[in-house]
Amino acid sequence: MSESSAALRPPLVDGNRRPGEVTQDISHSLEGRPSWLWWVGLGLSSSLLALGIAAVSYTLAKGIGTWGLNRTVGWGFDITNFVFWIGIGHAGTLISAVLFLFRQHWRTAVNRSAEAMTIFAVMCAGLFPLIHMGRPWLAYFVFPYPNFRGPLWINFRSALCWDVFAVATYFLVSLTFWYIGMVPDLATLRDRASSGLKHRLYSWLSLGWNGSARVWLRYETVYLLLAGLATPLVFSVHTIVSMDFATAILPGWHTTIFPPYFVAGAIFSGLAMVLTLMLVARKVMRLENYITARHVGSMCKLIIGTGGIVAMAYSTEFFIAWYSGNPYEQFVFMNRALGPFSWAYWTMVGCNVLTPQLFWFKKIRSNLVLVFILSIFINIGMWFERFVIIVTSLHRDFLPSSWNTYIPTKIEVATLLGSFGLFFTLFLLFCRFLPVISMSEIKGVLHHGRPHDGGGR
Amino acid sequence: MSRNDDKQYRRSPEESGHDAVEPVSGIVAPVDRRRFMQLAGFAVGSAALAGCSRGVEHGVMPYLIRPEEVTPGKPYWYASVCGGCAAGCGILAKARDGRPIKLEGNADHPVSRGGLCAIGQASVLGLYDSRSLRAPLRGAVASDWETIDGKIGATLDEVRAGGGRVRFLTDSVTGPVEQERIGAFLSRFDDGKHVTYDPISVSAIVDAHRDTHNLDAIPGYRFERAEVIVSVGADFLGGWISPVEHTAAYRSGRRLDGPDWAFSHHVQLESRLSLTGSNADRRIAIPAGSDAPIIGHLAERIAGLAGSSTPWGTLPPCPLPDDTIAGLALRLWSAPRGRTLVLCGLNDPQVQVLVNYVNELLGNYGSTSTETTLDVESVSMQRRGNDAELHTLLEELDSGTIDALFVRGVNPLYDLPGGERLIDALTRVKLVVSFTDHPDETSMHAGFVCPEPHFLASWGDSEPIAGVVSVRQPTIRPIGSTRPLLESLAIWSGQPMSAYEIVRDYWRRNIFERRLNSATFEDFWNRTLHDGFARVRRVVPGGFGATTKLSGVAIMAPERWSAPANDRFALDLYPAPGLLDGRHAHNAWLYELPDPITKTVWDNFASISSLAAEAAGLVTGDVARIAAPDSRDGFVELPVLVQPGQDDATISISLGYGRLGTDRFADVGPKWLEGHPTIDAGETIGVSAAPLLRWVNRTLSFAGRHVQMEKTGLRHQLTTTQKHHTLEIPRRLSMSGETHRAIVQETDLAAWRADPHSGGHAHHDLATLWSEFPRQKHHWGLAIDLSACTGCSACVIACQAENNIPVVGKDEVQRVREMHWMRIDRYYSGDDADIDVVHMPMMCQHCDRAPCETVCPVQATVQSSEGLNQQVYNRCIGTRYCANNCPYKVRRFNWFDYPRDDRLQNLALNPDVTVRSRGVMEKCSLCVQRIQDAKADSKTTGRELQDGDIQPACVQSCPAGAIVFGDMNDEESRLSHLKHDPRHYTVLAELGVKPTVGYLTLVRNREET
Amino acid sequence: MKRQVVNAVLVLGIVLVSISLVGSLGELRLPGNHIGYRPEQPIAFSHRVHGGELAIPCLYCHSGAENSRTAGLPSASMCMNCHKFVTATLGAVREEERLAEEQDRAPETVVSTELQKLYDALGLDETLAVDPTKTPQPIEWMRVHKVPDFVAFDHRPHIAAKVACQNCHGPVERMDRLRQFSSLGMGWCVDCHRETGTKRRAGMPVSAPLDCATCHY
Repeated sequence: MSESSAALRPPLVDGNRRPGEVTQDISHSLEGRPSWLWWVGLGLSSSLLALGIAAVSYTLAKGIGTWGLNRTVGWGFDITNFVFWIGIGHAGTLISAVLFLFRQHWRTAVNRSAEAMTIFAVMCAGLFPLIHMGRPWLAYFVFPYPNFRGPLWINFRSALCWDVFAVATYFLVSLTFWYIGMVPDLATLRDRASSGLKHRLYSWLSLGWNGSARVWLRYETVYLLLAGLATPLVFSVHTIVSMDFATAILPGWHTTIFPPYFVAGAIFSGLAMVLTLMLVARKVMRLENYITARHVGSMCKLIIGTGGIVAMAYSTEFFIAWYSGNPYEQFVFMNRALGPFSWAYWTMVGCNVLTPQLFWFKKIRSNLVLVFILSIFINIGMWFERFVIIVTSLHRDFLPSSWNTYIPTKIEVATLLGSFGLFFTLFLLFCRFLPVISMSEIKGVLHHGRPHDGGGR
Repeated sequence: MSRNDDKQYRRSPEESGHDAVEPVSGIVAPVDRRRFMQLAGFAVGSAALAGCSRGVEHGVMPYLIRPEEVTPGKPYWYASVCGGCAAGCGILAKARDGRPIKLEGNADHPVSRGGLCAIGQASVLGLYDSRSLRAPLRGAVASDWETIDGKIGATLDEVRAGGGRVRFLTDSVTGPVEQERIGAFLSRFDDGKHVTYDPISVSAIVDAHRDTHNLDAIPGYRFERAEVIVSVGADFLGGWISPVEHTAAYRSGRRLDGPDWAFSHHVQLESRLSLTGSNADRRIAIPAGSDAPIIGHLAERIAGLAGSSTPWGTLPPCPLPDDTIAGLALRLWSAPRGRTLVLCGLNDPQVQVLVNYVNELLGNYGSTSTETTLDVESVSMQRRGNDAELHTLLEELDSGTIDALFVRGVNPLYDLPGGERLIDALTRVKLVVSFTDHPDETSMHAGFVCPEPHFLASWGDSEPIAGVVSVRQPTIRPIGSTRPLLESLAIWSGQPMSAYEIVRDYWRRNIFERRLNSATFEDFWNRTLHDGFARVRRVVPGGFGATTKLSGVAIMAPERWSAPANDRFALDLYPAPGLLDGRHAHNAWLYELPDPITKTVWDNFASISSLAAEAAGLVTGDVARIAAPDSRDGFVELPVLVQPGQDDATISISLGYGRLGTDRFADVGPKWLEGHPTIDAGETIGVSAAPLLRWVNRTLSFAGRHVQMEKTGLRHQLTTTQKHHTLEIPRRLSMSGETHRAIVQETDLAAWRADPHSGGHAHHDLATLWSEFPRQKHHWGLAIDLSACTGCSACVIACQAENNIPVVGKDEVQRVREMHWMRIDRYYSGDDADIDVVHMPMMCQHCDRAPCETVCPVQATVQSSEGLNQQVYNRCIGTRYCANNCPYKVRRFNWFDYPRDDRLQNLALNPDVTVRSRGVMEKCSLCVQRIQDAKADSKTTGRELQDGDIQPACVQSCPAGAIVFGDMNDEESRLSHLKHDPRHYTVLAELGVKPTVGYLTLVRNREET
Repeated sequence: MKRQVVNAVLVLGIVLVSISLVGSLGELRLPGNHIGYRPEQPIAFSHRVHGGELAIPCLYCHSGAENSRTAGLPSASMCMNCHKFVTATLGAVREEERLAEEQDRAPETVVSTELQKLYDALGLDETLAVDPTKTPQPIEWMRVHKVPDFVAFDHRPHIAAKVACQNCHGPVERMDRLRQFSSLGMGWCVDCHRETGTKRRAGMPVSAPLDCATCHY
């Protein structure tokens, strides 16, 4: 990134804050009463969550028939949402781990909440494979546990099994990484905590942190190691998710481009979601000084980059379809662009290919309201990307006799909304009870008292 | 092979004096299966309870006194006669633990020859219909036989004393016993008369033959001997007289296997696209009712060719161009004498006389021994209806001179036009007795209803073909207190006897003496029971050995046929493929069986051509009012369906729908938030088209009436199982100009003779990364001959009956979730005027490299060592990835727990097949339960499995023998031969999934055209 | 100090509990495994007496095993083949004869309480003739060996392969009241099939396939 080499750098933290003030700024939002905005947010998201819970319970009670799926289109909203949420998660890991290894100090303001986002997103994602079977109590069948059935093992050739392991690993590593990174701040909170309960809780969580040089040394090492461990996951997880499709024989799924395509898409969508959240949190938690226009700017640039890769992938798919000479493949792509689901396809292209181009203009990048809106467009676009890949490939495959359509039911829509409800509820709670910004790290990048050329170093 | 050979002789439970319905061990109510599958899920949670309890405990009750021939868990086969329609197919009823659960065609029986139609297959469901009458009704209230008999007896005595008129109204009675007993019963009255009519009447054929050949029956149609078949509106593979018999014969006249191949040329002139038309080599659309002039002109041409003078004056103008008729005439005339067949579906004696005249000119009439296509010795006795007599009866009823009316097997208030007047007429009859098994339109106005047991539960006999007699033996005790007609008659005539005694007695007196061999009666009787039929001396109605000369009957030009004015349409009423005249209106399987052509379920409709639709501004699903201007109450309102191949001037509507009480199907299928009931309470499924029937000089006329069609503005959801009807893909969506999918291979006879590989596409030489699967002993597979398959859909129902496939209801089908394991894909090609139809049975292709197997995370679907693609229900967790990855989309997912709470209905379930619970994937298993059973059997008996020992339900049921199952490892098996046939190919071979189910190229006989 | 005491107590507690559990570990079974299931039967029928002492072949009563999927339970009429004559234990009969001799009278037919149930079920009177006043009632036995509903087990091939009934049903001839001997679990089936494979048994070739569809359809 260009920041490190620039002669004159804007500060990473505005308002010339001192360490003490930083602590104050960040932790007072946890200690004071929550703002009415927070309550409103929580109210909305938790009611969405309730709706989702109702929908899912109904599904589990009645059967998957309560969804709009049919004998031709066996996956719809369920797997679309799964891939969508998994994708959202990726930016978190990218920012926290990859940018950390690349010593991108601007990340410090956003990494904590980005990681939180990852964890909550993966939680949402994990739900869908579970409920899409209709009988989640059988989920344990997919684990290779010793049994008295002969014994009977799982099918290691099935991408769905790889998925289980990939996602589980991803979740655990991200969780640890996030938590370890939080320990010093938890200690801070512990020391600031007034009430007994709060104190006990934070001290239990902060694992008896005492801020000694030795502890800091160990901490830095562990953090670095975990960052190294998390980095490959950014690429592995979505690669494997993409194989859920790539290993099928279905035209539109059976494509070697999927792994890179999905990873780029995932980061793309993730960054958009980070932006959305950042801009809200910034306002709600009054963190304008920490999450600055510069952060937004750099993320917009990342979005331009990843968006470019995605656009590239779209065109490559079409080219390969034509080049392969496989009539089924060709048909699927023509059908995407001009068939019954063309509206979904063009929504996707509009949001994912055109929107990012606007970020080329500094005016737009620096207009946070605009950025917020555009980021939401990208989120929508990326959801539709998954929808298009799954549904349009399925609904018209080989035998014209089984060509069909797919219309989601209320239950499915409610489930999707519910997942958003879960996500935002968790995020708001996080904002309320844990430091959204890593105090310990941000202090390290405070601007004053540092040589101007040193920048991040 | 014939199952009879290895089937030991079984006595009927009634005869052996044991109650076969007694519960025996080993049957677990399917409800528990479902509960178990659910409980299994909670296994982990309930680990704490491990070993404490076994959950639900079943006491098992062995017989107190076991019938010596019954072994619990072992199926028995009873040879009997199907009662689904009057065709009288021979069946073998499979009874398991005392309950018949599956009907199969009797391979030796001359009518069915092993096949059985969808209706026959489905009729086993009717046996366990919990809504059918279980006790006699007096008026509308349940009563008991004593009171009923008392009342009826009293009234009958009155009537007899008063010398009153008694009429017995029935459909075609194929059973000699019943025919005779009814006669005997009526003979006790001064003026008793047995009136027979078929709601789907072909009485004109009988009338014509009475005139031309003094033959009081329908001649035997020998399709297998025909080289040229010209059918004018006769749907002989569909609902016409004896479809199974005709299909088998037609098929054996169109074989391409072996050196002695034969392939008839079949031309169909018809107004709607019928099942028969869809199989024709050449199809010409004609306005409904224009059969008359066409036959007339054809007759004239052929008479010309024959050099005989035409005995009539000017003919009405022909709706077809002259050269078409000339071409047909020439094609017929140039074929060997006696090897052609001209048929006409029009119920008009005058036209049928012309048809006979034509066939006579072509020398088609002959005896069983001669090699001609019309047999006046082994005649068909499957239709005995006489419209004229019915008409007389209606007049009598109008005049109120009838004192007692017995209605059996028909439903005049529903079948016939002018219902209101009939109701008044009925109310004037002193005694009206109905024998229906469901309350129907007529029984509503009957004083007494004396329900009969299902045909699988009662004694009877039948003589479908002169000289072929069968005993109908029960396979189970009647359910509820129903009583066969024979017993009722016996009681009312004052000499009570059991039906069994009556039948035996009649046979001893009448049938036995017609025997061809010198056997004792016991042997004769037992032999017949075992074989399911016996050949006896023919007694041809109208005099034995009816003369094959047109006995100087006046052959006149058919009445002037007028084409409908341009705002009018010619009406064409035809029997519903599943319900026939509505007699099967209570059978859910048949409602959910897709119409072989339109693929519609749970509805009837008015078919119109796309041209007509445009003109009237209608699209499929718009409700139109179709009215006959020449009558007040002659109208119906029902949705239109735009049908390719439909004649532009014709509206076709199927009869049999709109029956009373069909709102019982409101609770079919799952209920949930967005689900719609199949039918709203108080409504009926479909609409009755009977009001549009009319009488034309004392015969029921089904075709040609002029009607108007108006848009009503209403809409009605017509549900079809297939949404895309051609193999063409929209040009707009094709990237490199390829718009046709090579799923079906087609060729014509000439090309096939030149090169048996013709029609095949480029053979894909596929490299595979995998080593071959080790096939231990067998490698099961299927071959389906597309030239043989007529699309009749018998296999679909056979599969449903064998594999416990649930009925899901209209809404679920609309959501593309029907559960049928096999479907018949129907593709159109060509344009509306000259349309080609392909029927392609599609079930699990049991790929050797099955894409479904690799993607299942839990190995719930895996390859068996015998080449089967196995689906393990209790392992399946329902990710549905297998279905997504199946290129043929033949996997079915249990979206819900489908209703199974009708305990009586559940008795129809096959105990050898698991009832699947929700969240489980299922699909065709090639009837693995039959494979396993046969293997276990051969292990027990030590007799090696022979080719043909195993027959999956679809294979067994196919009247055309289009599907062949076998072992590909056995080089001698029939299957192996077909697999090496140049016509053999596999669908989507280019994917390299290596299906073990293959197809044989469709061949059409188009040499001369 | 205090803390250490607490820890010590905890550890001790855990040890004691686990020791007390060891005994009942044998009881632990997976759900669906009913090994040892031994229900009360309507009639105290003894397999030991019939199968063991009298050495009646299993297939005499359970004849279905040979030619049907299910071995089946003998019908009451089957029991009567013997119990037309045998109405009580030999001991009881001798005792009656002895008493009769003492009181010099003709010995009466003694009917054991259990067999009485059989006669009642068939609706027979003391002289074992059909009593029209009595209504026959089928005997409701409790089923011991039962595989889950999605398992299609077929006795025929196993009998054909000369598998002894005891292989699966255990030493029935030594059980008074029948007890489930094997787990009847999938692993148990598969082990035997795997080990048998296609090798010859009792001099004849057998094939014990491992395909799922062998049992599941």
